[in-house]
Amino acid sequence: MNIRTPPFEKVLIANRGEIATRIIRTLREMGICSVAIHHRIERRSRHVEAADEAIEIFGETPVSAHLDGPQIIAAALAQGAQAIHPGYGFLSENASFARSVREAGLTFIGPDAETISLMGDKISARTFAEAQGVPVAPSVIPTGDLGAFIHAAERIGFPLLVKAAAGGGGKGMSIVRSADGLAEAARIAASEAERYFGDGRVYAERYIERPRHIEVQVLGDGLGNAIHLFERECSVQRRFQKIIEEAPAVALPGPLREEICAAATRLAAAARYKNAGTVEFILGADGQFYFLEMNTRLQVEHPVTEMITGLDLVRTQVEIAADMGLPLAQSDVRSHGHAIECRICAEDPGRDFLPEIGVIDYLNVPSEPYLRFENALREGQKITADFDPMLAKLVVHGPDRGHAVERGIGALRDLAILGVRTNVDYLAGILDHEAFRAGEVHTGFVAEHSSALLQVLSDHQVLDAAIIVGALGFRAFRDAVFSVPQPHASMEDWRN
Amino acid sequence: MRKIQSSLGTSSTEFRRREAYHRDLVRQFREKQDAARHRRPQRDLERLRQQGKMLPRERIEKLLDPCTPFLELSSLAANMAYEGDAPSASCITGIGIVSGKEVLIHANDSTIKGGAWYPLTVKKVVRAMDIAIENRLPVIHLCDSAGGFLQLQSELFADRQMAGRIFRNQTQLSKMGVKQVALVFGHCTAGGAYVPALSDYNVIVRGTGAVFLGGPPLVKAATGEDVTVAELGGAEMHTSVSGTCDYPAVDEGDAIRIGREIVAQWETANKWACQRETPEDPAYDPEELYGILPDDIKIQFDMREVIARIVDGSRFHEYQPAYGQTLVCGFANIWGFKVGILANNGVLFNDSSLKGAHFIELCNQNNTPLVFLQNITGYIIGRDYERRGITKDGAKMIMAQSCSRVPKFTVMCNGSFGAGNYGMCGRAFDARFVFGWPNHQIGVMGSDQAANTLAEVKLNQMTRSGETIDREEIERVRADTRKAYQQQLSAYYATSELWDDGMIDPVDTRNALGIAISASLNAPLGDAGYGVFRF
Amino acid sequence: MSFTLTLDGKPVLIKILRRHPKLVLEIDGREHVVDPDAESESHAQVLDIDGRVVRFTRAGADDRCMVRLAGRTFVITVPDASALGGSADDQGSEVRAPMPGTVVSIHKSAGHAVKRGDALLTIESMKLQMVLNAGRDGIVGELLRREGERFDKDDILARLADENREG
Repeated sequence: MNIRTPPFEKVLIANRGEIATRIIRTLREMGICSVAIHHRIERRSRHVEAADEAIEIFGETPVSAHLDGPQIIAAALAQGAQAIHPGYGFLSENASFARSVREAGLTFIGPDAETISLMGDKISARTFAEAQGVPVAPSVIPTGDLGAFIHAAERIGFPLLVKAAAGGGGKGMSIVRSADGLAEAARIAASEAERYFGDGRVYAERYIERPRHIEVQVLGDGLGNAIHLFERECSVQRRFQKIIEEAPAVALPGPLREEICAAATRLAAAARYKNAGTVEFILGADGQFYFLEMNTRLQVEHPVTEMITGLDLVRTQVEIAADMGLPLAQSDVRSHGHAIECRICAEDPGRDFLPEIGVIDYLNVPSEPYLRFENALREGQKITADFDPMLAKLVVHGPDRGHAVERGIGALRDLAILGVRTNVDYLAGILDHEAFRAGEVHTGFVAEHSSALLQVLSDHQVLDAAIIVGALGFRAFRDAVFSVPQPHASMEDWRN
Repeated sequence: MRKIQSSLGTSSTEFRRREAYHRDLVRQFREKQDAARHRRPQRDLERLRQQGKMLPRERIEKLLDPCTPFLELSSLAANMAYEGDAPSASCITGIGIVSGKEVLIHANDSTIKGGAWYPLTVKKVVRAMDIAIENRLPVIHLCDSAGGFLQLQSELFADRQMAGRIFRNQTQLSKMGVKQVALVFGHCTAGGAYVPALSDYNVIVRGTGAVFLGGPPLVKAATGEDVTVAELGGAEMHTSVSGTCDYPAVDEGDAIRIGREIVAQWETANKWACQRETPEDPAYDPEELYGILPDDIKIQFDMREVIARIVDGSRFHEYQPAYGQTLVCGFANIWGFKVGILANNGVLFNDSSLKGAHFIELCNQNNTPLVFLQNITGYIIGRDYERRGITKDGAKMIMAQSCSRVPKFTVMCNGSFGAGNYGMCGRAFDARFVFGWPNHQIGVMGSDQAANTLAEVKLNQMTRSGETIDREEIERVRADTRKAYQQQLSAYYATSELWDDGMIDPVDTRNALGIAISASLNAPLGDAGYGVFRF
Repeated sequence: MSFTLTLDGKPVLIKILRRHPKLVLEIDGREHVVDPDAESESHAQVLDIDGRVVRFTRAGADDRCMVRLAGRTFVITVPDASALGGSADDQGSEVRAPMPGTVVSIHKSAGHAVKRGDALLTIESMKLQMVLNAGRDGIVGELLRREGERFDKDDILARLADENREG
């Protein structure tokens, strides 16, 4: 490999915001020209500024523009790009987009369309995983015969999780605890799935109580070779959305860790997986783990893996897409220390996490060698309802989990994002929580401790200080204090 | 500047006795003042509440900037008139800070006969407007008045310094470029309608505010026209049709808020630069004043002790300390402002009169405001003194004082009698502010002196006409005179008649002077020059 | 006079007790000595409260600001000042022509929901165009003139229907 010649001359990033900025950073390091796409509303975004070239895309809504595959491919061709990096979300797991990219003569920096299809369908993915000897949670697929479905479900045992086959992100999911609610839950899940994913197929599988969400980062070269880059723990979730992720998983016994990672690698290899992917598992308290799904893209939380392995996953993606093969052998993959990522969102924890809109009046990011703040923010930026409320990711690394937690809390305390409410302090509260520090994490963590996490106690000293600082920020108050002439100002409220 | 060395024995029996006496006087003053300010028939207070109105003092408190002082003037005006029917003469005037600016506030008190103007109300308002003109203070009028108190119209309408003078003063103030805003909270009828009309800006409250030259009853009587208050002069009509009023307010709070915003638009006044240092509290406790003042008006005390409890750091630079010692003259600072103080330690002699005149000239030369602390029974009389020219010397002092270009402030601390009042800048001599302590007396002469004089006159009369000397008659003249004088000499009588700008607690003198001096700096210095001194 | 502010939604009373020699503020009865010695590096500032150094960052507009101190973020607001008095018609239900003229364009048709201040019609008179706005929230009831039609001063051009009440 000639290090000096970059594998591509120009890559278009079919994404925006934080991940686009992240990808552009690696492309720049690799000497690859980057092309950003943007809707008019985000024409002054940082990711647009950071890229070498930018091109406007059009759509009824900003999101619809980012979902317009043909337009994006046309843009890539017009700019002379050779490859498209889809980031995460948007079109990253859209098999027909991946196919269209390939057919247009461009390289899709991700797996083949066929793999995307296979893994995109949760039912077919499960079947495939089962065939590779990867444990899957007992489940049942309704075939139209409701009676049989319920009977089969009962055989699996309650509680059950009813899920959409084509979906993700918690939509079309519900927990059913007894046969009574099953038919109704299946009906609702089907209609939700139809609405969000255009595919009303649902299935039911055993619901593991206090499960932990463990996922494994895998890389495949498309020729049947795959390696893993260890696992991540994403158990701290709220309404099925991940908010804190860490690598490696908390206190996983060595043999179990090996078994899980091996299962994931086996799956990726069998699928002749190309590029980066993540295999997600559910781990029960009894040490039993079950395949959940495989995400055929780079994940939001990839930085924690990067921090413990020292690898640049975006670089790896680009190289694999250029058929440069896997970056290293499994035996060379090492993990050191512990990393934690916090997803910072514009939302109000005090009002049930209602998304916030506003303007970023002030931004101050702490700077430490162990800290990454992945974002595309700038002061003065408008936060609107057009896009996802995630503003940034704060990622810290430490020699062990305890250190990482301390550094994370410190970084969140020093971080200042003013202008919209954020969950920064809420996240600090999670990290600081006894149970989190002790590693007692599971997907019900947030629900279990929700009242403790939402109740932020501050003594009068702190509250009064905040009021004083706030009051002095208002012109009318400042005038009342400072703009009164002498001698009146010293006479205060004297009356004769 | 050296600190005055007090030689007061604050634990002596005499001190304690005087202190108890004056504390009691002040307590009585406060009681009367409290009653004048707050005691009203319940039904009048309810009526206001039902109309959705705030009390006048509540309006003022809301108008003023937070944590700022308010110097109320003449709180006991009319306390001995109209059988007490018009406390504070049915209006509140004073100096305060609104939106960071010094303003004069003039508010009708609608809790008293609907805010009707008594003759003394008119006098108090005219005086307030005179203060505004002399000191170039912007004015905020809080209007809520039923109009003139018709039963006493002959005492408040026709003459030069009566009701019309209020409006004349408004026009002159406006001509000088000094701003006025009127907040119309209630009715402004007849002449009263001119207050908002002659103000540069005005705000009117929807529903309760109204401005008209004649109210509905008068209109009906005059032309037979039937019209409601709102149609005739309500907020709607005046702010959108006639243009008489500038800003409609949804309620009183809104009107005050708008008023504050208007004041905030005004330029900051250009004050002339009186010499100023960092203020410092007096080194001696001002409450010791109670023990310094005598409990008998005839007993002398050292004014330096009084000065020491008023001025910054109790520091005083005495001028001609060895000459004319019955008049103490010197420089000091009050709330940082450099002032020249003249204070009486006895009757005025030739030397003290000349010293006073010269010191006043020095202050005018140095642009130093003058503060007169009065305790004067008069100039010395007698053949020797006349031969030495006491009348001329008194005249020179009056000439110097009266032609001063610097602002003057007078505090009547004890006695204020006869020509001494004149020399020491009494009311007639255009002091910017005149204050009186509760114990002071003011008159052409003291009651004893007057009683003895008139008794003497009676005796001479009887002697000349050859009548038998009726001792009883003479004593009756003496007693009657003393009684009449006592009532009319009292500080309460003086302040009731608005011969001063307010009775104040001696302890409040420092702050009152501080605010007064500060207010006075808004007007430029007068022309330099004096008339002819009869040398 | 106290100032009422809200801290994260809860009302708080703050009073100025003294300005000299030190600024003393009172919050719900608790006194604090404040030394507003600000070293402003952009928004990062320092205050001395009761002898303790308080580091904070603050950003915001006229009636709302966010403060970050002691590892927490607070939102402090000044309750809304009431608006200046409205138009001649208190209810805002009638839109009257301020002068004679012609309707240039109609922006909202009958049945449209509008908010106070929304543009309803653009009119022209003596070569000057102006926009007539809704005086209150509500629904457009009827439009009494079409585009291009003339009208006189004080003619009612549009009416808002009875105020929309939320259930």
